[in-house]
Amino acid sequence: MKLFRIGKTLVITLLAVICFAPTAWGFCGFYVAKADTKLYNKASQVVIARDRDRTILTMANDYQGDVKDFALVVPVPTVLQKEQVHVGDPKIIERLDAFSAPRLVEYFDEDPCNPVMYERLAAPAAAPASGAARASRDEDNSLGVTVEARFNVGEYDIVILSAKESNGLETWLNRNGYKIPQGAKQLLQPYIRQNMKFFVAKVNLKEFQNSGSQFLRPLQMAYESPKFMLPIRLGMINATTEQDLIVYVLSPKGQAEVTNYRTVKVPSDAEIPVFVKNEFSDFYKSMFQTSYTREDKKVAFLEYAWDMGSCDPCSAEPLNREELRKAGVFWLDSGSHESAPFRRSIAPSNDVFITRLHVRYTRDKFPEDLVFQETSNNQNFQGRYVLRHPFTGDVKCQAGQQYKKSLTRRFEQEAQTLAKLTGWNIQDIRKKMPVAQSNSRPWWQNIFP
Amino acid sequence: MLLKDVRDYQILFLSLFLFLGIWTRDWTLRPDLILVVMITCLVTQSLAVSIKQNLFNLLPVQDNCPNEIDSGLTNVLAKLSLRSALITALGLSLLLRADSYSTMILAGSFAIISKFIFNFRNKHFFNPANFGIIAALILTKDAWVSPGQWGDEWWYALLFAGTGGTILKRVGRWDTTAAFLGSYAFLEAIRNIWLGWTWDVFLHRLMSGSLLLFALFMITDPRSIPNARIGRLVWAVSIGCLTFLLRNQFFVSTAVFWALFALAPLTIFLDFIWTAPRFSWGENPSPTFSNLVINKSEEIESETYLQA
Repeated sequence: MKLFRIGKTLVITLLAVICFAPTAWGFCGFYVAKADTKLYNKASQVVIARDRDRTILTMANDYQGDVKDFALVVPVPTVLQKEQVHVGDPKIIERLDAFSAPRLVEYFDEDPCNPVMYERLAAPAAAPASGAARASRDEDNSLGVTVEARFNVGEYDIVILSAKESNGLETWLNRNGYKIPQGAKQLLQPYIRQNMKFFVAKVNLKEFQNSGSQFLRPLQMAYESPKFMLPIRLGMINATTEQDLIVYVLSPKGQAEVTNYRTVKVPSDAEIPVFVKNEFSDFYKSMFQTSYTREDKKVAFLEYAWDMGSCDPCSAEPLNREELRKAGVFWLDSGSHESAPFRRSIAPSNDVFITRLHVRYTRDKFPEDLVFQETSNNQNFQGRYVLRHPFTGDVKCQAGQQYKKSLTRRFEQEAQTLAKLTGWNIQDIRKKMPVAQSNSRPWWQNIFP
Repeated sequence: MLLKDVRDYQILFLSLFLFLGIWTRDWTLRPDLILVVMITCLVTQSLAVSIKQNLFNLLPVQDNCPNEIDSGLTNVLAKLSLRSALITALGLSLLLRADSYSTMILAGSFAIISKFIFNFRNKHFFNPANFGIIAALILTKDAWVSPGQWGDEWWYALLFAGTGGTILKRVGRWDTTAAFLGSYAFLEAIRNIWLGWTWDVFLHRLMSGSLLLFALFMITDPRSIPNARIGRLVWAVSIGCLTFLLRNQFFVSTAVFWALFALAPLTIFLDFIWTAPRFSWGENPSPTFSNLVINKSEEIESETYLQA
């Protein structure tokens, strides 16, 4: 439902993406509207599959306005030809999102009077909980703008531009029906000076209608460049608030991180009250905001890092090979990787490590575009929050009494953890918590039964 | 005893950074890897020193060796140059990340051995920690450097500048830091103006904790850099220029380390052109015959300054 997202850029020369999105989560460059549709960036999603200098970048469009108003300008490091641009499958982004989303895990306490069972519980018997989902050529020349390529891909009309100066580029875009946000000119210049090209897309209404689709599909581009970055500055032009960007980096090596800002793990593995199950999205939003504020709003958060071959607990099945290919993973097809069918059963998609980074940014805290690097860090990480349901049956044994007594302390601890993570009022939290039916008998009853 | 040597301050400061990093920077620092690299550096240093001394003893006449019952801890430290090894280990712990013990062992041992192998006229020219980092990056598949993890907060900048300044003042090598940072900042400023970025981009780049740590604690190792001030200035400016080039033209996020590595051998050449007395950690750099033995070990010891 939200508006829109876009995405990123990478490798050799530089990759810059500009997108504008109107609402909910995300990142990016800017969307250029043709009408006065209010467009704000809220949440963009970008998938970067990268191996050495090769990159396949997928920008997910969750555009909510009238498609005829949709337009996108993204700085890219190289001139892209038709063969390098592709329309992706929107489901893949959803799959990646679901697979890597921060998750709740539920555990159920066993009967404390049945120690065998109780011990068995210590082994991870996790029930997977739902994850949060989360002009003419001459004229062009006089403007210093060169149309390097022009083609259609799916429902999109795409133009690849190179420009000599930002005034000319702005004029060209305006003449061709793109409405540039104010202030974009100054921001376009650095990309021009860095010799970047501009990927400009709008929707071909006829094709779009023919496709029968209701939504715009993601755009994918493949290129080779040492630049591994995402130009977020453009996306801040018409943003009025903080913007969210979710970046999924798929790498054959290991975790990806940001090199010019700190990369910090989101708080994880906390035991929180059971009632959060019904308000997980509120919890996560509050928790993220609290962490973001605590880190002075200038870090990138690591939400998930995992080998794509497995998950534990899974909030969604790992992507299969075909899905990975659709997500841009290009290195699995080389013969050597395919020759391990036996491994597949254990780890169907080894050689793909996913890193999910969540960046919430504003102009004052993120002056520079994001620069990434892959590392060899293979440690797994997930944003994971634990619910432990207390045992509710009757307990009659001594251990059971101890257990019941311990619940009061445990609930309080959970309440405090929740308050600390989210900044919620501890009193409100306590009100929602179950009263630990303090089965504790008056002290004298031990003597006078 | 303690804190008598500038390197003691250095060890203190680098340890402080390491603790700060672990507590406040949320790193994926692994205590076991830190331990491994420490042990590796200390053991390698001890072995290398004894091998070197044995070799040395074989050549000249090994007659008088009476005064060796200095069993004090300080003497052991000094003889084996363990301070230097410790500084190298701390530097590696602060900057290098790895997934396995073997990588850390390789980094630590290469760092120390480089002092003994890449040695010209009894002066090593690679910064040991830097050498270890580059060796791990080139020779292994699981090493990396996280240049963004120090962030760009002003109080870190102040902390680094304050502690680094304390040491540089005592060692007299602030010129190197100034020349490196000055030239690099100048080039970044020009680029910033040319591109049309706002100045906060420039500041963000220069406030990087990793860059400052490098400029104040690594590039200033008085033992491996040129002896004459003019030589140091030329050397530091070259590193600043190469860093700028690698970062902005070739998009190398760890540009500073590669620049220092590539230009380290230049020290020999610069020392040849501009001669000056060599830096020595001891107070009496002019060896008399009687303290020759002691001086030798001192020499070895001093070879590592900031191996950060």
